[in-house]
Amino acid sequence: MKIGRAALLLIAVLLALGACGGGEDTLVVYSGRTENLIGPLLEQFSNESGIAVEVRYDDSANLALLIEQEGDRSPADVFISQSPGAIGFLAGKGLLAPIPEDVLGRVPAQFRNASGLWVGMSGRVRTIVYNPELIDESELPASVFELTDVAFRGKVGLAPENGSFQDFVTAMREIHGDQATLSWLEGMAANDAQSYAKNSAIVEAVGRGEVPIGLVNHYYNLRAIAEDPETVTRNYFFPDGDIGSLLIATAIGKLSSSDDSEAADELIAFMLGQSAQTFFSQETLEYPLISGVAPSPLLPGLEDIGAATYDFDDLGGGLERTKELIGQSGLEGG
Amino acid sequence: MGSRAASSATHGGAFVRWLAVAIALLFLFPIGYLIWGTATLGTELGPTVTSRSTLLPLWNSLRLAVMTTLACAGIGTVLAFLVARTDLPGRRIWRVVLPLPLAVPSFVGATSLLAAFGPGALIPFVPRLDGYWGAFLVLTFLSYPYVYLPVLARLRATSPALEEASQLLGGGRRRTFFKVLFPQIRTSVVAGSLLVFLYVLSDFGAVALLRYNAITRAIFAARLFDRSTALTLGLMLALLALVVAASQRLITTARVSVTEAKVRQVRYQLGNYRAGALVATFVPILVGLLSPILVFLFWIFRSPATVGVGYGGWGDDLGFLAEPLLNSAGAALVAAAVAVLVVLPVSYVGARGRGWLPAAVTSAVSSVFALPGLVVALALVFWAIQAPESLAGVYQTFPLLILAYVLHFGAQSMQASQAAISDLPAGLDEVARTLGADRRRRFLTVDLPLIRPGMVAGAGLVLLSTLKELPATLLLAPIGFQTLATKIWGAAEDGFFAEVGIVSLVLVVLSAALTWLVVLRRPAAELLET
Repeated sequence: MKIGRAALLLIAVLLALGACGGGEDTLVVYSGRTENLIGPLLEQFSNESGIAVEVRYDDSANLALLIEQEGDRSPADVFISQSPGAIGFLAGKGLLAPIPEDVLGRVPAQFRNASGLWVGMSGRVRTIVYNPELIDESELPASVFELTDVAFRGKVGLAPENGSFQDFVTAMREIHGDQATLSWLEGMAANDAQSYAKNSAIVEAVGRGEVPIGLVNHYYNLRAIAEDPETVTRNYFFPDGDIGSLLIATAIGKLSSSDDSEAADELIAFMLGQSAQTFFSQETLEYPLISGVAPSPLLPGLEDIGAATYDFDDLGGGLERTKELIGQSGLEGG
Repeated sequence: MGSRAASSATHGGAFVRWLAVAIALLFLFPIGYLIWGTATLGTELGPTVTSRSTLLPLWNSLRLAVMTTLACAGIGTVLAFLVARTDLPGRRIWRVVLPLPLAVPSFVGATSLLAAFGPGALIPFVPRLDGYWGAFLVLTFLSYPYVYLPVLARLRATSPALEEASQLLGGGRRRTFFKVLFPQIRTSVVAGSLLVFLYVLSDFGAVALLRYNAITRAIFAARLFDRSTALTLGLMLALLALVVAASQRLITTARVSVTEAKVRQVRYQLGNYRAGALVATFVPILVGLLSPILVFLFWIFRSPATVGVGYGGWGDDLGFLAEPLLNSAGAALVAAAVAVLVVLPVSYVGARGRGWLPAAVTSAVSSVFALPGLVVALALVFWAIQAPESLAGVYQTFPLLILAYVLHFGAQSMQASQAAISDLPAGLDEVARTLGADRRRRFLTVDLPLIRPGMVAGAGLVLLSTLKELPATLLLAPIGFQTLATKIWGAAEDGFFAEVGIVSLVLVVLSAALTWLVVLRRPAAELLET
């Protein structure tokens, strides 16, 4: 009996030690995008370039915290962020190094940092997810500002602590001003908007009919349909460049502490190349950000929805104020 | 009493005390980080501590923790009693299955139970799980094993003599249970309850998904752009845990008789209560284990196995699970073994020491368990990065990861062993001492066999907690080291439900296998012998 247990332990230790490899000449990526949405690309890059890549996956904000705490000693060379907020935070702390001009230039100016510290990789559009069994598409509003109307009382789900919701609020502040934004947030709180933990939880809740409408990214309902073809919920895009249909970029940048800056540049260039952009468009159903790659036929074209764009440059810096306003509005927690 | 024996005992005692203090200091690293962070950020504590946006979540967490603890204390104790001491049908199967809800990560438990119960869910004719009641129910059915496992271990070591005497004297079953048996297991009930209390305080996954405004939600919301608030709230949580853990000693009981596990225990006939007892045993399994499993299967089978990225559904290749499976098993076994050994001196001092020291060392260890895993992980990052260059090689290696697990979950093995040690009869040790046995020999031949069920129960708790651990694994594991839990997290984050389902299923099966192997196999073999 005792020998069995000791042997088990020994095996465990050996296994664990075996997993502790990690050579010197590898490119270390901290990725806020999950493995399913970026892993195949990193593997492809590694095969094509001969550069070994190792990845740490976690939530973008947690990884930004980690990198900040690691400072100069960070093992990471590249940071991939699911939203401009987290990577903007690192840019603001002076922890990122500029990306070469020719790579930056592949992406429209509003989806990259003016100092070239990070660049957008793929786009997600803010949208309404709705349950057609509870509300007809014709009843959905033309602007996100109309959701404070009494007709939508208690009917809207949102995720005030979610990064992309906060990025959207920051953009709203920049375009419409703090006062209008605070009024909207307070209006939503007064209209009994329902707070959820995250986007996928909202799509699930709308599917169950807990709330007829949710404010999310376009990605999540497409994912829900891929999981379950019988999914009833649908996306609805606010028309005419309304801020409610804002295009938010996922982003990549390299650390100033990186000891392998050239390999980092190579990876970033790869992510803005044809094959990676096609992967984002066809496999993860996001909007490609370089010209010449078309979005998936499952998605409406950006021109068709008139997605709002916004220069995400000082999003990281602006987020503190955004959080203050959200806190002030009483949307959080309740 | 020879003076030589007395002086050697004092020496050994001093050594154990110093060891316990050193270990307790290690457990204070997370709080040290919170204090340092709060101080250097120049936080004005006053406004944060007294604002409504702090006090409300704190109060919410507190009342949720208290109510969940009471519920788990009741459920865990009753289940342990039914399984260990009655003729409950199928008790050998129940015994293996009952600890398993602890293996379900709370965010997975909440997601799957939301998909299972409520209007629009798979079982639509019940109220929706939401807010306080939702969090209470979900956390209760996922956390009762914190009480169940230590109490089960304790029930196996009580001396049957008192119960037999009570029954012979016409005490009746109810009277025997409350007057004779319960005082003997009370230390374990309290120890397990404290674990539930601390765990509920630390939980983020379930409360966030069930839309309950707990303090961990406020900490997470503030973590990136309002660091001083996040750190202050973390510190408040840690201080609350310290106070509660220190006051645990006020309600624990004096030593009572124990016996070695081989003695045949009194087994009560359920008689007319048999059906009711079966239902009572089945409900926690139904909610905490079967419902999530059925939802996992639903997610797996509803998906067409044709989707591009990720696990697509039934029939898709499962090879991607092999490495995470081995990593999970290895990390959990090592963490469980190390945690049990590391906290043993603290458990001893906690159970045997006098004065303020026992309360100080045990509450230092306990307090870490109340912190969200992210805070514990960031604290270790902070200290590892501050460490001199020569130690830099430790950063993000397997030993550091194990340290994170041990610091976070050490409270579990400590509570379980401490309960066992404090129930050791004092006379036994003195007899052995009179017979000239030295401290080491007394520990190995007298104490160890008696406290082993408690230690093994503690190892089981750490094992299950490590299997589902997320924040420290994500931040501190050697790069590329993925576990089943991190796989589940990645899949859940972007709505890959079929993948969440299959990996969760594998995690539950692995948990069952390891729990049986480590915690339950021996007792089962003994049962067959008797």
